[in-house]
Amino acid sequence: MTTEDRSLLARAATGDADALEALMTRYSARVYRLAYGITRSAPDAEEVVQDVFLQIINKGAGFEGRAALGSWIYRITTNLSLNKRRGKRRELETSLDELLPTFLPDGHRAGERAFVVADWSETPDRALLSGESRRVLEAAIDRLPEHYRAVLVLRDVEELSNEEVAQIVGDSVAAVKTRLHRARMALREQLTRHLGAGS
Amino acid sequence: MTCREAIDILADYVDGVMPAERAAELERHLAGCEPCRAYLATYRKTRELGAAAGRIDMPAEMLARLRRFLADKLRTV
Repeated sequence: MTTEDRSLLARAATGDADALEALMTRYSARVYRLAYGITRSAPDAEEVVQDVFLQIINKGAGFEGRAALGSWIYRITTNLSLNKRRGKRRELETSLDELLPTFLPDGHRAGERAFVVADWSETPDRALLSGESRRVLEAAIDRLPEHYRAVLVLRDVEELSNEEVAQIVGDSVAAVKTRLHRARMALREQLTRHLGAGS
Repeated sequence: MTCREAIDILADYVDGVMPAERAAELERHLAGCEPCRAYLATYRKTRELGAAAGRIDMPAEMLARLRRFLADKLRTV
């Protein structure tokens, strides 16, 4: 943790509005992105953001600072978001197994040839990120288990390394990599079923 | 290398954290396998789309509410 971060935390803990504003300027957008990415609910994400900044005020001065401040804030955000999700919307989360590629005994992909060679990757982003394709993508993200969404956001949106994500979520690098790969494959499968062989 | 083995290791390849020798082995498989080339292209695109979908801004009114909420809390610190 930098000297400046340490100073901001200490001042925020004493009620210094300028210090808190500086912390909000630096971190509120990242906290919201991660909280929304895990909870998939704007009201839940808003509550998480409030709770994260309360913890920064109440516990920041005691933060020992072995890790970077940003990592500590990501960790608090992840934990509060996962707690918020506990027991909610399980019905949306499908088994990932049915969304992973299947293989023949010889190791080749199983399935209709038109489907396994479908390549929609040259479709313009404006088409993929709007209309029905966007809806399919958002629904596919909704269906991921929240622990998978946490890793997906930290890696692909926040662009942290596997090692940083492992520290934040308190899991091994191998587990993070597995979750990330399975999450991306599940999203890819659902997009391909939508865009698929017609591309 | 089989398609199963190729797809198993795509994340490290796409993320640029795969040792060069392993990457060359994967690329040899990809050169002769249309389904795996399609899988790689759509996997890479999926990563980009997921990232783009996740880059959302906190609504301005929510930020204003956060400021008011924290200002209230600071008064009691």
